[in-house]
Amino acid sequence: MVELTDWTPSSVPGRPDPEGDGEPGLDPEFPVEEPPEVPRRPVRRAALLVAPFAGLTAFFVGWEIYVVVRNLRPLTLPLPSDVIIHVVENPGFYSRNGLVTIQEAFWGFWIAFFAALFVATWMAHSQFVERATMPVIVLMQSTPVAVLVPIFLLWFGFSPWPKILTAMLFAWVPFVANALIGLRSIDSETHELLRSVNASRWEIYWRLRIPHSLPYLFAAGRICVGLALVGAVVGEFFNSREGLGNAARVAQSRLLVDQLWGSVFVLAFIGVAFVLLLIAVERRVLRWHSSQDTDHRSL
Amino acid sequence: MSRADTAADAAISFEAVSKWFRRKDLLVHALSRVSLDVRQSEFVSLIGPSGCGKSTMLRLAGGLLEPDRGSVVVDNQSPAEARRQKRYGFVPQHPALLPWRTVRRNVSLLSDVNRRQDNPGMSTDDQLAMLDDIGLTPFLDSLPRELSGGLQQRVSIARAFALGAPVLLMDEPFSALDEITRADMRYLLLHLWGQIGSTVLFVTHSIPEAVVLSDRVAVLGSRPGRITQVIDVGLPRPRHAEVEDSDDFHQVLGEVRAALRQGWSS
Repeated sequence: MVELTDWTPSSVPGRPDPEGDGEPGLDPEFPVEEPPEVPRRPVRRAALLVAPFAGLTAFFVGWEIYVVVRNLRPLTLPLPSDVIIHVVENPGFYSRNGLVTIQEAFWGFWIAFFAALFVATWMAHSQFVERATMPVIVLMQSTPVAVLVPIFLLWFGFSPWPKILTAMLFAWVPFVANALIGLRSIDSETHELLRSVNASRWEIYWRLRIPHSLPYLFAAGRICVGLALVGAVVGEFFNSREGLGNAARVAQSRLLVDQLWGSVFVLAFIGVAFVLLLIAVERRVLRWHSSQDTDHRSL
Repeated sequence: MSRADTAADAAISFEAVSKWFRRKDLLVHALSRVSLDVRQSEFVSLIGPSGCGKSTMLRLAGGLLEPDRGSVVVDNQSPAEARRQKRYGFVPQHPALLPWRTVRRNVSLLSDVNRRQDNPGMSTDDQLAMLDDIGLTPFLDSLPRELSGGLQQRVSIARAFALGAPVLLMDEPFSALDEITRADMRYLLLHLWGQIGSTVLFVTHSIPEAVVLSDRVAVLGSRPGRITQVIDVGLPRPRHAEVEDSDDFHQVLGEVRAALRQGWSS
């Protein structure tokens, strides 16, 4: 055994001194200085919470004033207050159709997520697979998904699958691109560290690559929530008996302005609600990530 | 004692190792016929100019690279086998902490992976005692981004020791730290090493660091990378900060500096 070198933690900042006996690092001769009172800023905190609602209110009030001042017909642009009243007066209609669209978008979103993760995992581990897969992804990206919906209808008829597949195709490319970057962008020294104890590919994937890709996946998720909803609605436009897309299509053909705008409002509300939910989950899961710092936002 | 005998006793043995790196049309001769034996519980530093192959030697010892010629043996095994048996505690240049793991869970990381092996590392109690010993108790549940650079590197070193590995490979672990923290970390490292007694291969650019820490200093020359001289430090242990004021320390410092200069000019 090698002889022991004495070492005391002389430079540990803020090390507590519970016994008050002058632990190493705390100079007993040095006068203790109380920290300054940090002013609590409840107003600023409340302002931050209120900010999104203030923005939305300003938007709708501006809209309302514009319609009144320009004396526009409802067919051109309705009053937002009329649309909101219409939605509130028909809760059954919008909740029934909204639920259908949510289900289609939900399944499309998650199928896109897992399919993208599966493909990106293969691509991240093999240059051959990446090269073989990339042209197919570019092909899918550059093909307008809407033209595929009639084909899905031929395959699956009036089941929810054409809508789910459309939602999935809308959401899948951002997921696969971000997942690939996330799985690839691991720190080389950490990778080497895990290799030094012969960590298996699965361990490196599970303990290193997946957590590293989470910020990228959440960023993609925020975009894909909206895209999956758009996909579900596009699917419903083509042939469907239910859903908000169908409600908007029927309203457009029968000039039901309130229903048309009501469908748009409910869709926007669903999109915002799910993005907010995702942000809340992200805040909790990515507590460790620099994107969750608030300090860097101040100039 | 013949070289064959010393090689058999060595914890790490490089035997006429050569290594090339090929990048597109560029062929870099990283190491040329390098031979070095590091004895059990010995602390050996590798020092030399940038690009002389110090880190390559470390990675060859750790089985992270394969030699093109010659052989590397670690405790009478191939480095790949030693790696499988979790016989290495690796400390990279940057702390390489997992940002989503707390200090406590970062320290246990190497024990948590490759659990098929017999080496489970230190018990949780021993890990906590070690972390307390090096002043990390107040930060056990902190995330890496809440720590200073010096504290992060302290966690990185604790992580290597927590594995209880017989061989420690350290790749310029203090290079990113300020001089005051760096000086402190030398003695922290000696303190922990004194308790475990592992064999250490330590890469550094700092001559005082190499002399304070090591039993021997291997000086490397570049283009191609090769060992030009191995210097016995010979300073008594345990070593404290005062050793840096001694004449013997300065004499060895001068020897290493001269060897580096000689390697550079040749």
